[in-house]
Amino acid sequence: MLRRKERTEILIQYDSCLAAQFAAEITDRYDCFEIIAPHYGLTMMKMRESAQNSLFYIGEVLVTECKIEIESHIGIGIVVGMKNELAKHLAIIDAAYEANLPETVNWKEPLHIAQEKINETKVKKQALFLDTKVNFDTMEV
Amino acid sequence: MAYVAVKGGTKAIEASLNLLNYERIKAGKIIEVETIMTTMRSLVDQVMSESSLYSPFLAALAIKQAEGSMEEAVFLLRAHRSTMPRLYHSEVIDTKDMFMERRISASFKDIPGGQVLGATTDYKHRLLDFDLVDESFIENEKWLNTFKEALPVIENEKQLIHYPKVVSYLRAEGLFPTYELNNKNPIDITKENIQFPIERSARLQILTRGQTGAVTSLGYASLRGYGAIHPTVGEVRYGKVPIHVHVPTETSTDIEDQYYIGEINLTEVESFVPITAKDKDGVDELQFEIGYGACFGKNETKAIAMSILDQCLEHPEVAFPTHDEEYVLLHIDTVESTGFISHLKLPHYVTFQSKLDAIRNVKKEKASDEAN
Repeated sequence: MLRRKERTEILIQYDSCLAAQFAAEITDRYDCFEIIAPHYGLTMMKMRESAQNSLFYIGEVLVTECKIEIESHIGIGIVVGMKNELAKHLAIIDAAYEANLPETVNWKEPLHIAQEKINETKVKKQALFLDTKVNFDTMEV
Repeated sequence: MAYVAVKGGTKAIEASLNLLNYERIKAGKIIEVETIMTTMRSLVDQVMSESSLYSPFLAALAIKQAEGSMEEAVFLLRAHRSTMPRLYHSEVIDTKDMFMERRISASFKDIPGGQVLGATTDYKHRLLDFDLVDESFIENEKWLNTFKEALPVIENEKQLIHYPKVVSYLRAEGLFPTYELNNKNPIDITKENIQFPIERSARLQILTRGQTGAVTSLGYASLRGYGAIHPTVGEVRYGKVPIHVHVPTETSTDIEDQYYIGEINLTEVESFVPITAKDKDGVDELQFEIGYGACFGKNETKAIAMSILDQCLEHPEVAFPTHDEEYVLLHIDTVESTGFISHLKLPHYVTFQSKLDAIRNVKKEKASDEAN
């Protein structure tokens, strides 16, 4: 089973339709209670500076948060930006994993496929930047 | 002398606000927030950085509302920030995990991984491009298609490259001092009053949210002789860093149970600064220290200037204002500096009247003395 860190990364970086599709599977079959409706808040970001390896706060980022309860298990959806739908879908999916719902077993494969596609896209994007890599020729004087 | 409350300006203020709105919309043009967000990225980045709030959409909205005034946009975003709840603190962001879009060094030609220019105006002629006056969607689409067709074909098995820090190689060679990970919780200047001398964490937080122009000017002043630092840029990197959150109610402390919540764009700079220090035998020797700069978005000038000021403030020197943390840190905040300067135009009737009265009294006494 994919752990939370990996699956939230896939669900946020991939097309949001995947999260919507997983969430719909759950809402069709289970009672989902909205503990906290999607709302906006801040996350203060802690950063390590590389001069002396100490920590400092670089500032806050706007996030959308939502909490959903399914079968007495609470799921949390948090995402950077103003994304109410996605935050809700993430919370439903998180609750489904917390409750060990059988549907989550079938999500492993599509999540892996999505992960591969994300990686392919990133490699292609990185190639754009690598195209600007300087090849130095030393001039003879 | 007490302040005196006055009234009577309500109608004038209402009319002024109406006039302000009239001035904004009278030309019959509307700029979309989305358009600002996607075409004025540097402006959006600056507003986010100085507001200390990462939200491209809200920054673009603030720019629209402020009609392009930086100080007003930053004020609006800071004010909005103060109305929002802080839900979480992130896990530590480490730029080793950055998805790199640009990475250069002024210190070494051959850095491991190479110099990646990314998208930059550094080598562009600074000539006005009059073609932009009649820019068309069709022409842009054509250009984009040609650009995409010319892209190199990527093999499927290609992996993402994560670039190590330039300084890590120098540290491995023993040329730079190494530091253990210091996990002391940082000071948060938005929650605590600062007192001088302040901790490094607070200093970096103030510098990173400083006004771009002010940070740049003071960094420049330091180089011109009002400081004792002349660094070489070891590395400038720009790209996306992932943000993770550990929810307090989560019992597991395993990092795999953290929430990935998205990513933000950052610029980071390490400047190498030569200093003379005593070795273990008390003999002077040349060493290097690192000045550190980082800020939201793409703003290399600010990040480099921050790295200069970071190093200046590490070494307090009475002779140089840029080495005085109170002087630097209390004057670079956008809202504080523009707020204080602009408050001078607000009514000061009572204080000014009292000064006039004082002068009148002095003159009266002088005239009376002369008559006697």
